[in-house]
Amino acid sequence: MTTSKTGSLLTTHVLNTADGVPGARMALSLHRLDPQMALWNLVSKGTTDEDGQCSDLISRDEFTAGMYKLRFETRQYWESLCQSSFYPYIEIVFTITDLDQTFHLPLLLSRYSYSTYKGI
Amino acid sequence: MYRFWKQFCTVKQMSIRLQHIKDHILAANQCAEMSSPPYSPLTTHVLNTGRGIPAASMVISLHLRNHTAASWTLLRTGATNDDGRCPGLITREAFVPGVYKMRFETGRYWEALGETCFYPYVEIVFTITDAAQKFHVPLLLSRFSYSTYRGS
Repeated sequence: MTTSKTGSLLTTHVLNTADGVPGARMALSLHRLDPQMALWNLVSKGTTDEDGQCSDLISRDEFTAGMYKLRFETRQYWESLCQSSFYPYIEIVFTITDLDQTFHLPLLLSRYSYSTYKGI
Repeated sequence: MYRFWKQFCTVKQMSIRLQHIKDHILAANQCAEMSSPPYSPLTTHVLNTGRGIPAASMVISLHLRNHTAASWTLLRTGATNDDGRCPGLITREAFVPGVYKMRFETGRYWEALGETCFYPYVEIVFTITDAAQKFHVPLLLSRFSYSTYRGS
């Protein structure tokens, strides 16, 4: 089970389960829903490192209760490996209510499957 | 007289037995007709892995990406049955190559069970290039995790 890096409020870890390697250099972005406008606002963009991890997606000041979306650019990732993928992108939508917690949202991914869970 | 009565009872018993067999066959045929789901080249199956049961009565919707308008067209809305399935999602004729989205109203599902869920909804976006194939897009879901895969 992967856990977040110390000090980061919201982290992710992408694992390429088909090849048994970290999902390195995958572009991703974090969005927060504006409930009044019914629009997604971009909070931050990032890229996973060689270990497939991406931290510091959001600062303490920005981290408010609400609905968020983590978007992973999976097609680009598999194209860089000269492969196709069933999923052009993956969006994980989740609700934050308790700001005292840290949230770790990993993505375990192959070309034809994926899974995620709420970690710490 | 007794011999006649004995033969009459045997024939009557056989007649009753034949009628029972006919009734069973008729009932079986009727069940087969009622339980035959409409064919769909795209299927789903939602499983509540938190409780180890099918996720029944979950609202789902199927959408097709409209590339020119950069928007989604709603194709079908339905709800899973007691087995967690939603038959008849799309017809063979309507199933064309493109980018589809299947949306599962997971928050509402768990709320109906008196619980919260980390995921207010789950959207699985996938690309169909060969619409002649069959595609099975299941969702295995708990309150704090989910997974999906491409089946057939």
